[in-house]
Amino acid sequence: MSRPLIQVEGLSVHYPLKGRLLGEASVLRAVDRVSLEIPKGSFFGLVGESGSGKTTLGRAILKAAPISEGRIEYDDGEGRHDVGAMTNRGEIRDFRRRAQLIFQDPYAALSPRMTVRDIIAEPLEVMGITRTRAETDARVREIAARCRLNVEHLRRFPHAFSGGQRQRISIARALAPTPRFLVADESVAALDVSIQADILNLLKGLQRDLGLTFLFISHDLSVVAHVCDQVAVMYLGRLVERAPTRALFARPRHPYTRALLSAIPSLDPDDRGRAWKLQGEIPSPANPPSGCRFRTRCPFARERCAAEEPVLRPLAGGHEAACHFAEELEGAVPA
Amino acid sequence: MTLLSVRDLTVRFATDEGLVTAVDQVSFDLEPGEVMGLVGESGSGKSVTAKSIMQLNFGGVRYGEGSRILLDVDGKQTDALKLKRPKDLRLVRGGAVSMIFQEPMASFAPAITIGDQMVEQLMLHKRVSKAEAKRTSIEFLERVGISDAPRRFDQYAFELSGGMRQRAMIAMALSTRPRLLIADEPTTALDVTIQAQVIDLMKEIVAEFGMAIIFITHDLGVIAQTADKVAVMYLGRVVEQGPVREVIRTAAHPYTQGLLNALPDLSDLDSPLKPVPGDIPSPLERPAGCVFHTRCPERIPGRCEAAVPAMAPLAPGHACACFARETEGAA
Repeated sequence: MSRPLIQVEGLSVHYPLKGRLLGEASVLRAVDRVSLEIPKGSFFGLVGESGSGKTTLGRAILKAAPISEGRIEYDDGEGRHDVGAMTNRGEIRDFRRRAQLIFQDPYAALSPRMTVRDIIAEPLEVMGITRTRAETDARVREIAARCRLNVEHLRRFPHAFSGGQRQRISIARALAPTPRFLVADESVAALDVSIQADILNLLKGLQRDLGLTFLFISHDLSVVAHVCDQVAVMYLGRLVERAPTRALFARPRHPYTRALLSAIPSLDPDDRGRAWKLQGEIPSPANPPSGCRFRTRCPFARERCAAEEPVLRPLAGGHEAACHFAEELEGAVPA
Repeated sequence: MTLLSVRDLTVRFATDEGLVTAVDQVSFDLEPGEVMGLVGESGSGKSVTAKSIMQLNFGGVRYGEGSRILLDVDGKQTDALKLKRPKDLRLVRGGAVSMIFQEPMASFAPAITIGDQMVEQLMLHKRVSKAEAKRTSIEFLERVGISDAPRRFDQYAFELSGGMRQRAMIAMALSTRPRLLIADEPTTALDVTIQAQVIDLMKEIVAEFGMAIIFITHDLGVIAQTADKVAVMYLGRVVEQGPVREVIRTAAHPYTQGLLNALPDLSDLDSPLKPVPGDIPSPLERPAGCVFHTRCPERIPGRCEAAVPAMAPLAPGHACACFARETEGAA
């Protein structure tokens, strides 16, 4: 196995809060001591509810969120960067060309005043990747065709396109500077199911044909199941489980992952109310529970869970979970 | 006794580019206590259909000549499209009909407390004193699972979490005890875990209050978990409707089948994802004949682009508008 493309070690992203508690400035721990590796060429899934820190982690990897602690290393074989320590403009520019973000909302991400051609061409011109207009045009047409956009429509404005087409424009723009790594943050969440599948197939095809590495951030486990090779589950800033996709879905080991899976609405009308529902909502990351952060919503929580924080530890089959009772809880049904 | 009877509803909008048809000849009935799912992609006309009941479509809206929305409340029949005066419109705007929206943050006034908004609408629709209205509001906040309801009553929408806001929205819509609740994508903006809680809550509400619900969503899983019957819409037309079991298990229309096939299947991770091919056409370029023919894998050349297929029954209550299915039945 080659070196991972992204190596995250003990990463924390803390934001200071305005209010002071007993003279000590309180902080919001969006991401707290997270370590993970994203293998080169993989489609890596990052899952969790709103407030779990998944977006912040994705942004930190792209040097778009402040790193409070820890290290992020990027190495695609040609370019190598210490993401946190980068200060040199040239180095940052090189990294930005290699690592790109695809946004969630294809309606908000595209300027309504620019033609599709200009939207895709902008990063090429700003980063000085193409020198002449003819060169830019050729590159734009090539990328547009790869993203299955009609090259005859490049002079139109975004409003003339449907949600699915806009997302393909957004993807084309991210691909323009020939990145090696892409963060897709909820890239299909705003789309209809009929179009979701099309965009997912496009992303998978790009990964395969261009040898790209993806960090795919989503709250929807059923989508993640179909496209990702590996999945990491986050809860309140911490990684609670990580496994190859098949292992995760066949044998979820953390109660939170099981709850997420069980909350997916079943397509069988006679299978109503089978799911075990998670009570309450995710607590505030400014004031997380002691010990295991999931214990306030976990149906299996015991005394030890409040006293001692579980660490992410290896289990059978390349699986890792942060639960004191992962072994004995397997198959257990909440009371 | 049918609570709601929509007949040949056609809705057009006058725009700079001409008259755009958003809803075309839609008909359905709803009985008291029935939950109907209205399914379709963005642009299918599902929200416009529902908003017509409350006359909430603005911006150059034109309802068709023969369009009727008959509402039967306490033995009195009203055509909702004929209501003009603000006083009469109250019946469909919070009186007998209430609506909950996808984005609860946008539905609460940001500078008025949750409680004041609930009290205001209760006093508008019911003859109650302010104290009574407050008591009822707190009762309903508790009923939808909001803890510490008296304190929440005095809070603003921004102080509540997303799931909590959606619950408050439901409490507000329910407090006037409407006969019909329109829920427009009420769980789409929520996390799956919170979505599961809200779905449970909606089911309890139907059991307890016996109201009818029109549940608008693009998620067939949510429909399977909540609805009694389903109408599938595409580009303003209902292409299939029937009891939820039949529509999901024996989907007849190629579009319904496409929607079902597009859903990720968790029991078979190796199966490829199958999108509905092509994009939904712009409402400015509505295809002639069957509106789905441009994306349909079973298109009959010469027929589907020439004429509009009528809804034809397949089984009791289950009907579908497709020429490819008609020929099957005749053969």
